[in-house]
Amino acid sequence: MSLFWQTLICGLLLGGMYALIAIGMTLIMGVMKIINLAHGALVMVGMYVTYVCFHYWGIDPYAALFISMPALFFLGCLIQKYSINTLIGKESILPENQVLLTVGIMLVLTETMRMIFGSDYKSVHTSYTGSSFFVGDVSVSIPMAIGFVIAMVFTYALHIFLTKSDIGRSIRATAQDKEAAILMGVNANKITIITFGLGSALAAGGGTLLIPIYYLFPDIGHAFVAKSFIITILGGMGSTMGALFGGLTLGIAESFGATYISMGLKDVVGFVIFIIVLLFLPGGFKSLTKR
Amino acid sequence: MLKVNNIDVYYGEVQALWEASLEVDEGEYVALLGANGAGKTTTLNTISGLLRPKKGNIEFLGQDLNHVPAYKTAEMGIAHVPEARRLFPEMTVKENLIMGSLPQKAKNKRKESIDWVFALFPRLEERQRQEAGTLSGGEQQMLAIGRGLMLKPKLLMLDEPSLGLAPFLVDEVFKIIKKVNEEGITILLVEQNVVHALTSCTKAYILENGRITLQGKGRDLLNNEHIKEVYLGI
Ligand SMILES: Nc1ncnc2c1ncn2[C@@H]1O[C@H](COP(=O)(O)OP(=O)(O)OP(=O)(O)O)[C@@H](O)[C@H]1O
Ligand SMILES: [Mg+2]
Repeated sequence: MSLFWQTLICGLLLGGMYALIAIGMTLIMGVMKIINLAHGALVMVGMYVTYVCFHYWGIDPYAALFISMPALFFLGCLIQKYSINTLIGKESILPENQVLLTVGIMLVLTETMRMIFGSDYKSVHTSYTGSSFFVGDVSVSIPMAIGFVIAMVFTYALHIFLTKSDIGRSIRATAQDKEAAILMGVNANKITIITFGLGSALAAGGGTLLIPIYYLFPDIGHAFVAKSFIITILGGMGSTMGALFGGLTLGIAESFGATYISMGLKDVVGFVIFIIVLLFLPGGFKSLTKR
Repeated sequence: MLKVNNIDVYYGEVQALWEASLEVDEGEYVALLGANGAGKTTTLNTISGLLRPKKGNIEFLGQDLNHVPAYKTAEMGIAHVPEARRLFPEMTVKENLIMGSLPQKAKNKRKESIDWVFALFPRLEERQRQEAGTLSGGEQQMLAIGRGLMLKPKLLMLDEPSLGLAPFLVDEVFKIIKKVNEEGITILLVEQNVVHALTSCTKAYILENGRITLQGKGRDLLNNEHIKEVYLGI
């Protein structure tokens, strides 16, 4: 029985960090109406920022959140302002040209990091990497527990921001009806920039929290795009709460897959759940709360 | 206050307005009437900057709007209650109202404006925590008007506010528009309910196939032979 609880808790903690990354993706998807395929690459860049902070300046990864998140906020704003927004309204043969552009951004980010850091695996080895505490006979990894708690704090803070501040409400309003938001005086262009920045910052936050338990290499972003996409579909696109539950579900599913099926198949479990949800609950978890 | 000067508006290659002009003075209650597809919504959307005229210009309080971005027209005091309500469906009634008061001046009076709107539409107060998407059609229309009023606008533009409402609610909506106008807010009303609009407005314009064909005092137009024949079916 302790193996069961061990697996559940491990999955839950991991899922909380996945959720933070996916919330960033769902936020961008809500406002921009596109899948940001560069999202995983933004997670990866955030991780490298944290790696540099730790490796060269000895800054603890959790303290590095205060550097990686603002840095990626800024990078996200620049990407939105100078590349994606300039494409809006341009005639194109392919209707999904903005999505294709995010693929290009992903490649540029990935290859830039490869040029700087090479392809080899990096890791951030802190004093608490690998340490754990016990609850009954279940051992809980300390960096995972800390990561989970911080991820939940950020999720809650984001929720408050989106529901209680004018900018947050404007982000939601723009996602729901852009033209109506403009009539209310919302500078929708500025909102898309802020949203992309915010989504990127959340990606960096998630990446930074995962770094004490992950290896880092330039292509790690692909895994995060896939996960975020699954979570976003699980949660119902554009829904923050949905993405939270989607993230926890994916974390738990992966964890059970790894323990009871096979370590190598844990990513397959995620896809199986994804397909089941598409078949039986196409609106995601969000659709369960309606009606 | 508002001057629309000979505007031509296109959707791509297709022209929707031909040299349309109209004028709204401070405190007036002006109606813009016409059949389906006449160009009424196009006119309002051009005033609020969602569309741009290819020719002609629009002035509001002496300022040329041609190069003012759409989101700034709210700040200048123009509230546009759009066709089909366009509420934020997943936000509550209260949040929708708050969204109507984003510009700083309106934000400063947010609390007071909410009380004012709730006094005009007590129904909205009862439903304030409900998501807008789950309101009835009539309630949604009230919320759309209330959201526009939250700006404490100088000019309130309404696009077919009586559409799809039961007759007693139509009366109610027209009463409220009148009341708002009497409180000093200038009104530009787009309607297909010609009788109602002409009896309550001070001045009206008739739009036909993208051209302003008639204008005059509401009472006078009610007795106009052309109006009687085409719009009133007498
Ligand atoms: N987005 C658009 N693209 C192309 N043509 C449009 C568009 N919107 C409106 N039109 C055309 O412009 C003309 C005027 O439309 P508009 O919506 O202004 O009419 P309206 O007077 O508001 O009609 P209604 O009473 O039905 O709302 C119509 O011929 C319509 O087909
Ligand atoms: Mg119309």
